Amino acid sequence: MQDIRLRTGCAFLLSLAAFASVPGAIAVSVWWIIFARPWRHLRSLRMLIPAVMLVAFFGIVLEFTGGGGVSYGVRMFAIILIGAWIYNEYRPGEFLHLGTWLLGNTTGFDLGMIAETGMQSLDLMVSDLGRIRQAYVIKTGRMGFRNFVPAGRILIHGALRRADETAELMAVRGFRGGGSGCPVFVTPVSDIIAAVAAVCMGIIAVVPVSEFFILYH
Amino acid sequence: MNVRLSGTIVNRGNWSLFADGVFDEGIHLVCGDVGSGKSTLALMMAGLLHPDTGTIGNSSIRSHIISFQFPEFHITGQDLAEECRSWNLDPAVILDAAGLAGREQTSPLDLSRGELKRLVLSCILAREYDLLVLDEPFSSLDCFEKARLCSILSERRNGITVIFTHEQSWFPRIDRIWEIEQGVLHDRGGLPDAVFRWKHAPAIVKDLVGKGKIPANVSRADLLEAVCRI
Repeated sequence: MQDIRLRTGCAFLLSLAAFASVPGAIAVSVWWIIFARPWRHLRSLRMLIPAVMLVAFFGIVLEFTGGGGVSYGVRMFAIILIGAWIYNEYRPGEFLHLGTWLLGNTTGFDLGMIAETGMQSLDLMVSDLGRIRQAYVIKTGRMGFRNFVPAGRILIHGALRRADETAELMAVRGFRGGGSGCPVFVTPVSDIIAAVAAVCMGIIAVVPVSEFFILYH
Repeated sequence: MNVRLSGTIVNRGNWSLFADGVFDEGIHLVCGDVGSGKSTLALMMAGLLHPDTGTIGNSSIRSHIISFQFPEFHITGQDLAEECRSWNLDPAVILDAAGLAGREQTSPLDLSRGELKRLVLSCILAREYDLLVLDEPFSSLDCFEKARLCSILSERRNGITVIFTHEQSWFPRIDRIWEIEQGVLHDRGGLPDAVFRWKHAPAIVKDLVGKGKIPANVSRADLLEAVCRI
């Protein structure tokens, strides 16, 4: 999906649809298979494993304590898929364009820039994590669960240091807030089809499935 | 003892790196522009990155290590003592060698990058490895530390040392020079003949070659000796 406006709108709608009900989550998963073209990002999908494991853990705990764990797991899994999709489809500068288009050159520009720096930081953290993993391979042969806390500490420290450097650099360059952006968007027909399909998934999530089948009545 | 790169290719979108060659025992210098693929090749030689095509083989390499360009990526300990122990080394010995004695309880992330580099290099150089891969080992170091590092590396009698660097002033005695150019690793040959083909050669080396005063090697002492002949 090339148009960031439609992509963000779809992600918002699909996340709500997935969270609303299990049929919605299943419909969102089907949408993801058809329109997100997951086979293009198979390698990066491995990054989802820890998040999926975390959701599965809490789902199991919930199922055995108060019930509803399966429903929680299915819905959260669909939301994770949509999150992964929007992260993989992101191209630098898109959120700045979206913010400026949506809220103008002052608030929109600032919000867009915050989103951009956030995405950039996430990218760098993924890259940092790869290097930290390599450091553990060098020292101990592999990275285990007990290494997550020190690794997280290094990741956060690096992200904060970079944020500090970026802020100082922007201040030195005279940034006070706002800017001027001239957003340009490309909207192919395939994006519109995917967006319409996302709306349909949203309807499926909130309207009982039986309502679709006249013969049922 | 050697490391063999046989038709190895790494592809990343429009960018690619092709490397083919044999790294024998001795000290190798690998140069290239920023983004040419030096760190990628370093990771590949250290076995941390697999090429998309081709193979990396070795003969008689029983131990190897890599020093990353950014020393903070090596850090896994909460304090300097724990960091040294994570390398299975005695903190007292290592911290003394790194000029950080008495700072056992300091967090590695509170050190300057130069101090961190000294610490990591001290940990890495404390042991003998058959293959030692150093990615930008001179970055963040002052001249005194660069000279000390050159001296330590020049004293390595055995094994393969591969130095990936932009450094223009400080080198140990080098056996062979390689360059990455337009996505391809080129073998410029052994010294002193390699200086004629070395495109990323430091200005002083180019000047000396221009004046017909060929240095025997590129270490500080060899360059000074060549300068004295002018």
